[in-house]
Amino acid sequence: MLFQKRSERLFIWIFFPLMLMMPLFLDGNIFYINKLSSILIFALFVMSLDYLVGRCGLITLGHAMFYGLGGYIFYIIAPQNEAVNFWVYTFYICVISAAIALIVGFLVLRTSGIYMIMITLAIAQMFFYYFSDSMEFGGIDGVFLYLKPETSFLGIKMFDLDNPTHFYYLCLFSLFNTLVFFKVIMASKFGRVVDATRENPERTTALGYNVFVFRLASYVIASALGAYAGYLFSMQYGFVNPSMLSWQTSGTALVMLILGGMGSIYGAILGTFAYEGLHYFFEHLTEHWMLFMGSAIILMVILLKKGIAGYIEKLLEKRS
Amino acid sequence: MTTSLFFIQLINGLQYGLLLFLIASGLTLVFGVMGILNLAHGSMYMVGAYLAWYFFTHTDSFLLSAIISAVIALSIGILVERTLIRQLYHRNHLDQVLLTIGMIFVFNALQSLLWGNDPQGIKVPDLLSGSIPLTDTLSYPVYRIFVAVICILLAAALYYTINKTRLGMLIRAGESNREMVECLGINISRLYTIVFAIGVMLAAIAGVLSAPMVSIVPGMGEHVLIACFVVVVIGGMGSIKGAFVAALLVGIVDTFAAVLLPSIASMVVYILMALILLVKPKGLFSN
Amino acid sequence: MSQVMIETEGLCKHWGGLKALDDISLTFADKELHSIVGPNGAGKSTLLNLLCGTYKPTSGRILHKNEPIDSIKPYAFARRGIGRSFQKTNIYPSATCLENCAIAAQRYMGGSFNFLKPRNKEPVLLHIAEEALHKVGLGHRKDTVAAAVSYGEQRQLEIAMVLATSPCVLLLDEPMAGMGHEESALIIELLKQLKKEYCIVLVEHDMDAVFELSDLITVMVNGQHLVTGTVDAVREDPRVKEAYLGQGDEVY
Repeated sequence: MLFQKRSERLFIWIFFPLMLMMPLFLDGNIFYINKLSSILIFALFVMSLDYLVGRCGLITLGHAMFYGLGGYIFYIIAPQNEAVNFWVYTFYICVISAAIALIVGFLVLRTSGIYMIMITLAIAQMFFYYFSDSMEFGGIDGVFLYLKPETSFLGIKMFDLDNPTHFYYLCLFSLFNTLVFFKVIMASKFGRVVDATRENPERTTALGYNVFVFRLASYVIASALGAYAGYLFSMQYGFVNPSMLSWQTSGTALVMLILGGMGSIYGAILGTFAYEGLHYFFEHLTEHWMLFMGSAIILMVILLKKGIAGYIEKLLEKRS
Repeated sequence: MTTSLFFIQLINGLQYGLLLFLIASGLTLVFGVMGILNLAHGSMYMVGAYLAWYFFTHTDSFLLSAIISAVIALSIGILVERTLIRQLYHRNHLDQVLLTIGMIFVFNALQSLLWGNDPQGIKVPDLLSGSIPLTDTLSYPVYRIFVAVICILLAAALYYTINKTRLGMLIRAGESNREMVECLGINISRLYTIVFAIGVMLAAIAGVLSAPMVSIVPGMGEHVLIACFVVVVIGGMGSIKGAFVAALLVGIVDTFAAVLLPSIASMVVYILMALILLVKPKGLFSN
Repeated sequence: MSQVMIETEGLCKHWGGLKALDDISLTFADKELHSIVGPNGAGKSTLLNLLCGTYKPTSGRILHKNEPIDSIKPYAFARRGIGRSFQKTNIYPSATCLENCAIAAQRYMGGSFNFLKPRNKEPVLLHIAEEALHKVGLGHRKDTVAAAVSYGEQRQLEIAMVLATSPCVLLLDEPMAGMGHEESALIIELLKQLKKEYCIVLVEHDMDAVFELSDLITVMVNGQHLVTGTVDAVREDPRVKEAYLGQGDEVY
């Protein structure tokens, strides 16, 4: 079975039906529908990070680089005054970002541990400065994307992206597919070796596997999906700016990941919602929300070692 | 580029590099001795600059405000190590990253709570406000030379401490073999506190020294942190000597890139880093 | 003597000024158990690490089936069928015993870049993995998480993992380290069976086991080759006695 843990199945059975019905509850309240869409997009991004950090054991502090690149690549390759096909451009963006990830990964994966953290951060910063210094890309303000893609597939128009509810369903659809995609990979023969490289790289080499190649493949997959999330984000509000690829974005994603529970994939969704919930709560409490957010993060690291997903699993284990 | 302009850029680069070294040395020392990656290290630089501004506007004495700031930074260092960093000694890198990100949030919030979000600045102390004429049209500010001299003095003090004193001996032992130092029955926890507090103080002093040269704004620490990362990665993590060489290299390359390659200036040091890592994945002075 | 599997020619490994291994020329034949013994620091583990590609030799050559292999990548050694076990237990603690062997077997079976095929739906591969477990007597533990089995069983699992890679050469680094008498006896029985099929290089401190199992014994001292011979020849050799006794070291 694809979803092995009870807590996981429980979560999926509650979360996705609930989210499917959400627009009915919200009754066309565009603000909240948009808010939810962007949370779903970010959850997708965090999910790709979870695969890298939780599953492959590769800690990166530069994953947001691909989030931003997803948006910028879209801006660069799409014609200005013509609506492009969503699916075709999804393919383009994944392929181009995968190619970039292949080159970056080749450099980054030569190192490990703390070096990798610092190098991923520094390379992401390089892209950050490139886009924020460049006049062509609007500097720190970024650039606008005026036209939303159309989504016809084999002649059938599926989503109207100008409609927030349609866009919301596209995000939910993408998130679900990503979840299933990662679960399939993790249960596959490839996933077996990935697990092995995380748990004991030395032994895995001794058994005859080229650990580097498996890490590189994983890095490319996670990066392409991270870029896909950025592509969705840029489409939602119609702009791309350098803050998408800032280290704060990477850091926030890591915090969400830990909050949700690493390595479980679905925990990424939990973590994103929990973080956004906390953020919303503190923000309405005080303008100095960062003080509370920071303290919450510190407390979380010290107290909640396995995240919310780990906590739920523990509760369910006790009951059964 | 004329010779005098070249000369000025060279001094600028050296001076920037020395300042970077002051901050990066703490980062690399804490990593080398304690195995901790402190992302909040840049925040200490910011705190130093804000403290200098705050006390300068109240006391009107740069020296006094510098001393007060350094002492406060030292206390913050001790406090933070005793309460938070201590939790991390037997945790993985990820927990270190997260906890120190949390600390960045808290420091940023405290900064905006205590001092607001408007850009601030202080003027160069009167005694050091002059310029040294180089040619008929070019001159160099005394304060920048003063900063470079202070940095060199502090670097020398650091060198002396690490190589000639008992504390330095423990630091070196801790770098090469942490378990051994623990086994020798040395009060490792006090050593850690001292090392961390010194690191924090050096970063804060760099902030104080920069205060008259830059505008004091929220987020200034994060910018510097990334530059220090590049320095530490190029130099080899945990190596003070490496940090010194790399800091000067980064300082000079960055300064000249701004003049010679303005369109990609801010990327040049990262490209430099990538090139060095291709050849030496663990930095120039790693063992 | 049967076919030569591995051959070293003037193999040296220096760590800075220290000669961990100096000019070692040995041959290891198929279906024979060749033990490497010597006092601590003799260079036994260094030799093993060179033979499996973990270290690169400073000079000298390693031949596998008459082809030089000293310049290939570490993982390529295993692909040629040179499998090793580790002195310090080196397994995947959170995976089941069967999964541990399946990881090993999959390298040989291929398909590691199959992103879609579920890992638990391949009977042939699982069969090989299970067979390896049975060979070492761990069949009943296949669904137990490796971290939860006893130390002795982990040592057995260590060997099962090597077997699951379908090797032709087994490099065993102290398989009996830290084991009780009964557990050691199990491993000795196992090795007696295995040496009928494989070329085995054994580094071991337990001299009773070495004498009982070996076809050939090589004694090393201070990184240098002292003598190679049959059990009886080595037992009687005065230089061997001196090497052990002269250092005030007991024969382990």
